[in-house]
Amino acid sequence: MTTGIGNPVKRKEDRRFTTGRGRYTDDVRNDNQAYAAFVRSPHAHARVKSIDTKAALAMEGVIDVLNGKQLTGDGIGNLICGWAISSKDGSPMNMGAWSALATEKVRYVGDAVAVVIAETQALARIAAEAVEVDYETLPVAASLTAAMAKGAPQIHDNAPGNLIYDWGLGDEAAADAGLKAAKHVTTLDLTNNRLSPNPMEPRSAVASYDAAEEHYTLYTTSQNPHVARLVLSAFYNVAPEHKLRVIAPDVGGGFGSKIYIYPEEITCLWASMKTNRSVKWTSDRSEAFLTDMHGRDHVTTAQMGFDENGKITGFKVDTIANLGAYMSLFSSSVPTYLYAPLMSGQYDIQNIYCNVRAVYTNTVPVDAYRGAGRPEAAYLVERMMETAARELNMDPAELRRRNFVQSFPHQTPVLMAYDAGDFPKLLDMAQKSADVAGFPARKAEAAKRGKLRGLGYSTFIEACGLAPSKAAGSLGAGVGLWESAEVRVNPVGSIEVLTGSHSHGQGHETTFAQIVAERFDIPVENVSIVHGDTDKVQFGMGTYGSRSAPVGMSAVVKAMDKVEAKVKKIAAHALEASEDDLVIEGGAVKVKGTDKQMLWHEVGLAAYTAHNLPDGMEPGLKETAFFDPVNFSFPSGAFICEVEVDPDTGVTEIVQFVAADDFGTIINPMIVEGQVHGGVAQGIGQAMMEQVVYDDNGQLLTGSYMDYTMPRAADLPFYKVSHQVTPSPNNPLGVKGCGEAGAIGAPPAVINAITDAIGNNHLNMPATAHAVWQAIRAGKSAMAAE
Amino acid sequence: MELTGEYRIAAPRQQVWEALNDAEVLQACIPGCQELEKTSDTEMLAKVTLKIGPVKATFGGEVELVNIDAPKSYTIQGEGKGGIAGFAKGSADVVLAEDGDDTILTYNASAEVGGKLAQLGNRLIQSTARKLAAAFFDNFHERLNQSTPEDA
Amino acid sequence: MTKVSMNVNGKKVSRDVPDETLLSDFLREKLRLTGTHVGCDTSQCGACVVHVNGKAVKSCTTLAVSLEGAEVTTIEGLANGKELHPMQVAFNDNHGLQCGFCTPGMIMTSVDMVARYKAEGRKLTSDLIRQELEGNICRCTGYHNIVKSIEDASAKM
Ligand code: FES
Ligand code: FES
Repeated sequence: MTTGIGNPVKRKEDRRFTTGRGRYTDDVRNDNQAYAAFVRSPHAHARVKSIDTKAALAMEGVIDVLNGKQLTGDGIGNLICGWAISSKDGSPMNMGAWSALATEKVRYVGDAVAVVIAETQALARIAAEAVEVDYETLPVAASLTAAMAKGAPQIHDNAPGNLIYDWGLGDEAAADAGLKAAKHVTTLDLTNNRLSPNPMEPRSAVASYDAAEEHYTLYTTSQNPHVARLVLSAFYNVAPEHKLRVIAPDVGGGFGSKIYIYPEEITCLWASMKTNRSVKWTSDRSEAFLTDMHGRDHVTTAQMGFDENGKITGFKVDTIANLGAYMSLFSSSVPTYLYAPLMSGQYDIQNIYCNVRAVYTNTVPVDAYRGAGRPEAAYLVERMMETAARELNMDPAELRRRNFVQSFPHQTPVLMAYDAGDFPKLLDMAQKSADVAGFPARKAEAAKRGKLRGLGYSTFIEACGLAPSKAAGSLGAGVGLWESAEVRVNPVGSIEVLTGSHSHGQGHETTFAQIVAERFDIPVENVSIVHGDTDKVQFGMGTYGSRSAPVGMSAVVKAMDKVEAKVKKIAAHALEASEDDLVIEGGAVKVKGTDKQMLWHEVGLAAYTAHNLPDGMEPGLKETAFFDPVNFSFPSGAFICEVEVDPDTGVTEIVQFVAADDFGTIINPMIVEGQVHGGVAQGIGQAMMEQVVYDDNGQLLTGSYMDYTMPRAADLPFYKVSHQVTPSPNNPLGVKGCGEAGAIGAPPAVINAITDAIGNNHLNMPATAHAVWQAIRAGKSAMAAE
Repeated sequence: MELTGEYRIAAPRQQVWEALNDAEVLQACIPGCQELEKTSDTEMLAKVTLKIGPVKATFGGEVELVNIDAPKSYTIQGEGKGGIAGFAKGSADVVLAEDGDDTILTYNASAEVGGKLAQLGNRLIQSTARKLAAAFFDNFHERLNQSTPEDA
Repeated sequence: MTKVSMNVNGKKVSRDVPDETLLSDFLREKLRLTGTHVGCDTSQCGACVVHVNGKAVKSCTTLAVSLEGAEVTTIEGLANGKELHPMQVAFNDNHGLQCGFCTPGMIMTSVDMVARYKAEGRKLTSDLIRQELEGNICRCTGYHNIVKSIEDASAKM
């Protein structure tokens, strides 16, 4: 089998994972290993009056007990949110102080107040129980309603009314006028449920301090080790950047939750210096539920207007986003710049306005979770289209077709310039794959068995490959969004690619190798990918927002361009040929139309022996490149979900799930399909099962797999996945990114299908059997009342 | 979470009232109570071991009697800390009414838990609290060692 | 402390451990066999599955001291030297893993599953595979390719 672009090359990394030889953070154990356990608040909102550590310190095997006053006393800075959002009135967002260990106040259940360092993990945990914290409890605002109520408890002093910002995008007057001119206006109230990301590997950190070198090393479960190092050093003051090495070894899934810097990493680094021991902390699942950043949690009211032909005339959105008790690293951008610019969907909408208010509550912080902002937008737009079609008595596919963007590039009124796509064709493909024509017969057959069958669409757009840096910077981003790569050709011709992207399940060790193997026509085995270690790899931005292919790989391509140029110069010199006559193929650099050639490894050797290089050429064969894209990439998808509902119980089965995607160029279809499967599964999880629940006192009621429903094998169908390719013009490979599509497109398809089946459009996620059963009953009584 | 109940006790109201104010009686009746020490007429320090779902913890805390209207009613309230297991808070309005030679005891209790108790034991708290309340009043009633409860 | 001896991946091991030591800890911390993973604390994710006397068990809910004399196989001991077990090959062939964290537990569960059905002479359908995976969570793959991997291996085992 060939191994280049477009081939389903089997993953090179699998061997270590299937034989138990993966190396995850918790697998690291240093010689002088000590263990950390955190003392966490059982109250959602309270003043810390005192912390009594005497009993814990007296226990044998306890090395130290450290608190927030000591931490801030040592100059460790507060956690920050790195994307500045301004309110409509121009005022900056109200960022409340967040110390890694709370000093005066705790603001959510799980907020850490102290850390115990002990000889074993068990000991550390037992000692943490012995730390006596005296709290003065305060009134709690655990929900958006409670936090926004008059006289609500004030969570941060600098955020009156718990409001973080009141932000808008688009033209409000135009949207109002569009609605006014409409023949029909559809109004929708939606909730986007709160989710816990739940990568299967719990977060973990192993920090060590070398007193002789004044140097720190941190192993951590991170999606972007360089950003972690930058933030830990520049903002949190833990160590100077050149004295801190961050390694993210094998990481067991992230889905966004391992982008941010958490209090635990900061604390472990600091504690390793305080105790002169290597300090390790590994979350258990209960702790993960309490402290891993959550995702989504929006309430939205929106109106969409249509003219007599079903063309959209205006779209107005009002969203309230729950950001939890503190502003996590990228939290501010999720309900704003990752959300509102997607409001145009796949449709040509001229008048859009989106207002977003972000609010503090006494719950764990909320930040990016697979899709981040884009699933919320897709859910709103696609629920809106389906609802409108029902109200207008139109076929939902037809209503979409009438509004599809037809030509590219397409500028929306909400910042985005779509690069490429073919939405009608993609929908055709999905409809064919789903045999939509046969649906009425299937519905009738199901009815005979007493089942309600429904079909739902979702034709969505996403913006991937977060970029470009300049534009992002002008919108408030605190970092650049480019990516870096270094391509090293060794003297023996094998190649190492150092990438700033990070792989935690995406298979980069295979796909990145594929593009190199293709370019230089060498076996994929001769290419290795190095990532995840700030000492080995040049600065890079990591992996999130489906950016590794469009941005990370593009950087590799740029570096390869440079390598190729040098290779040709070396070969042209040695072969006494013109560079223009050279081709790289079959493991050699050949002079076209002759049998003169230099084997690939001979070029490598020549570069390093430097015996016969062109005059003035530096020895070596290694090139670095940074790629900063000119635009986002815009993958699009058409999903069709078909369900069967048991009207007596509400139990819903997904009988077919079709995903037709346009990811641009596909490097490895096997891996891309795997990404779609996983994304769709998480989308179905959000639509039908998953929901984080806090009670009114801010106590987390879904704190384990007993109460938080994770999709299991028997809950899910096989997926029918297909692709269309319209290459992105914005990067050299034409790729668009595929990591999030499933999670973005699936929820509206599922809910549209269920509401179609039961004939009641009022149904919130998660559509559990109980919720569906209630909606069936409510639909019946509404009909009876009419 | 709210719990209510009513008991008929075959003892005069004054006697029931005294028992309700007797630390020794209370200690014997509170399920899992290991220590109950009076610090004033209306305040006590308590240590109680409870198991809710998968979480077992010993709570140390204060119990206080307020709204005293002897011998008719009081509110008993307490708050206990169970270390990493979290905390439990509760209060009960207890009313004694005379009915011939008997006394009718009604209570109206509310409870709240936090921390790991809420996270892992949440589904079991309602039933556990009900059981605990029933156990307390059963014990109390038995201790006064007469008739059977009308309504448990 | 109790001394416990067992056979792990064909080697006899003995260690003194506190009575409450879980098999998962014993394997990871005492023997440094870190292929066995811990993904939850309520015995619901299956990342920790190993074989004890030929049967799949969750090592996070098994006490090490209860296994005196037992034969334990972990993911590290599944291959025959360099030659991978058909299930390991099938997971690679069918892209049955992404981040790899659930994989050791998935593979150990699946090997036991297929062996059981073979021993009982029952046919293992994709629906049955899904039901049998009740105790194993994967957050990455959406299970599609895991089910395919098991079907594939089942034909070859
Ligand atoms: S770790 Fe054993 S089942 Fe989750
Ligand atoms: S492969 Fe990541 S959890 Fe299964």
